[in-house]
Amino acid sequence: MRHQPLHSVPSDDPLFNRVLSTLDIAVLERDEHSGEFQLQGMAPEWWHMRVGPESCTMLDLAQWSPFLREYVAADHPAWTAESGTVEKSGAWTESDGQGGTVTLEATVLSMESRTILLIERLGSGFEQMRAIVQRARECMLAEDVTVKAHHKTETRLINQLEVSERTKDGALALLQYLRLAALVLDEHGRITFASDRGLELLGISTREVIGLKWEEVFPIHQQDRVIFREMIKAPSDRRTAGPFYINSSHPAWIELDIHRDPRHPGCHILVMNDRTELHALRRELNEQASFHDLVGKSPAMLRVYQLVRDVASVDTTVLIEGETGTGKELIARAIHSSSGRRNKPFIAANCAGLTDSILTSQLFGHRRGAFTGAVNDQQGLFEAAEGGTLFLDEIGDIPPPVQTALLRVLQEKEITRLGESRPRKVDVRVLAATHHNLSEDVIRGSFRADLLYRIRIARVQLPPLRERREDIPLLAHSFLMTICAASGKTIDPLSPETLHGLMSYVWPGNVRELRSAIEFAVISCRRAEVSLSDLPPEIVGTPGVPTLAPWIPLQDRDEKSRLLAALSDAKGNRTEAAKRLGVSRATFYRRLVELNIQPR
Amino acid sequence: MIQKKICMLGGFAVGKTSLVRRFVSNVFSDHYQTTIGVTVEKKSVMAGEQGVLLMLWDLYGEDEFQHVRESYLRGSSGYIVVMDGTRRATLETALALQETAVKTMGPVPFVSIINKVDVRSQWEIDEREIEQLRARGWTVLFGSAKLGQGVEELFLSVATQIMQAVPLSSERA
Repeated sequence: MRHQPLHSVPSDDPLFNRVLSTLDIAVLERDEHSGEFQLQGMAPEWWHMRVGPESCTMLDLAQWSPFLREYVAADHPAWTAESGTVEKSGAWTESDGQGGTVTLEATVLSMESRTILLIERLGSGFEQMRAIVQRARECMLAEDVTVKAHHKTETRLINQLEVSERTKDGALALLQYLRLAALVLDEHGRITFASDRGLELLGISTREVIGLKWEEVFPIHQQDRVIFREMIKAPSDRRTAGPFYINSSHPAWIELDIHRDPRHPGCHILVMNDRTELHALRRELNEQASFHDLVGKSPAMLRVYQLVRDVASVDTTVLIEGETGTGKELIARAIHSSSGRRNKPFIAANCAGLTDSILTSQLFGHRRGAFTGAVNDQQGLFEAAEGGTLFLDEIGDIPPPVQTALLRVLQEKEITRLGESRPRKVDVRVLAATHHNLSEDVIRGSFRADLLYRIRIARVQLPPLRERREDIPLLAHSFLMTICAASGKTIDPLSPETLHGLMSYVWPGNVRELRSAIEFAVISCRRAEVSLSDLPPEIVGTPGVPTLAPWIPLQDRDEKSRLLAALSDAKGNRTEAAKRLGVSRATFYRRLVELNIQPR
Repeated sequence: MIQKKICMLGGFAVGKTSLVRRFVSNVFSDHYQTTIGVTVEKKSVMAGEQGVLLMLWDLYGEDEFQHVRESYLRGSSGYIVVMDGTRRATLETALALQETAVKTMGPVPFVSIINKVDVRSQWEIDEREIEQLRARGWTVLFGSAKLGQGVEELFLSVATQIMQAVPLSSERA
């Protein structure tokens, strides 16, 4: 059916034309026979630029627009669609013929048997939509770039983490291989890491220490905790503390190296060094260097220490032999302290220079009225030492009557006080000492042979200092510390020159003389360091002061003159004279008697 | 001269317009200008001994804002699927679009290209995925609109395939 041509509609209607012009829409009707399109009504402005003069109302789509050519191709479904069908082409962009572009959209209207083609130029609304899409896509691209960058960073970090983990694993393996005992503490003192060796050293079997405070984990003494806490608080980057005793099932001694963690200033790295073996060796060495109050680690002294241990374990009488000042009483005390009698009394008695009655009274006690001046009953030293040890120094000087009484005591283990007839049982271990050669005394008849054999069941012979010179630095240092502590002075360790001076001297007065010399030097010293000139003049060989020859008791022809010279220098003061000669007051007295010197 | 409609398909910003402009006008711009709708360009090439006018329908990129209208695809003799080697997501889009194209146009010739070969080190599409595409029967070319690399070969390849596939009697002048 042929319909009225479109020009029969009111295409000249001014309103219709204004609407089309405003909307930038060209209206064409398709001739169903020729398939050509004819412009209807007034064409919009762009039409003239793109298509040509208004008079050209028939549109050659093939020439005009490749897009439209395809769109309105013969097999287009709109041409056969039912009335009322509306189909849009979608936007397309093509040249506007003026060097620019124009974006258009076509709409096909199927109106009964007529087909209308509307071509609309997309204007500002379309441009806004394009701008929005452009922005959205740019945002998506930017986001994609950002995501990629993040992914790249994440990948890099993961790789770094893996490398770091591998490094950490390697470091841990190395740590374990080296058996390094290490802990890491955070800023609150909580353990964040503990190596296997560290746990082992602390006697901890599990890894459950992570997160615990070190105070809860370290099995150390309270005073060590205080030290340890202070060490951690100390501002320096590295501190060393210890040794600390680890009181665990496997006791150990450790030294701590405390390092500030360079990565986290509040954290600390603790490296524990096992010093157990070293501590044991040091203790052994100390024990070898001293024994009770005896100082010295020379082979001769080590033999003496062993001998002391040996005789301490038995209950026999012991004869301690040695020159004056060698420390015979210290040996006696060491034997007592090492023996089973250590908790009982130790009584020392000097037998030199006493008459037989006084000595008998002192040793065995007396009854009131036994002799003039005996106003009370008095127990003797044997009774006083009941259960313990009686040390009889200078036993070679005991008068013969007392020797007899002493022999009886040793044999019968009972004493009888002067003035009494009833013996009293005593349980006393007798240790005797002498500088005499008692065998010679026996030959001379001044000492009872049977007593000698009774007291010389065991013997300890103390070497003179000149025979163990290697102990002089140790002894000198020990005396210096003791004297400084007592006097409140602070003196530096002895210089090599001073030590050389000490070691060059013969020490006739032995260790006692050495102690006196150090005391003299500390008193004389005006500086922080003891110099050679601070030592007594006889040691440094100061001109004008004759250096004493080695003290060889009872064998030196000049001994008498030296004793007299010492007395003269001391203005007759025997104590002072004895001190000057480096001998005890008792020995000095004894020498005076032996050499028949009558002090003025 | 024989005219053949060829659609450019691919995700947004993969370089469809850049490839067309490099091919048609030998120009390239780094500035991204999104395509809305379709722009039709044309250029004649020699497919073998026969000249052919390629009508290149540069379609907007497929994304969540714009989906390809099937009406744009009607009448195409072949198509080119474009991917961006630096964005793996464009491979997924390419696969989806190719399925749409098959549904709409039937088994017409097509060639795919992975653009931006000038930044190969930044590619997310790897060799395994490329091999998978080839295993599906895709012709996969590498190119760079920026450098002009592989562009002529791309269009010549699809033109040749089209000319080999379509009998002369069905060609439209």
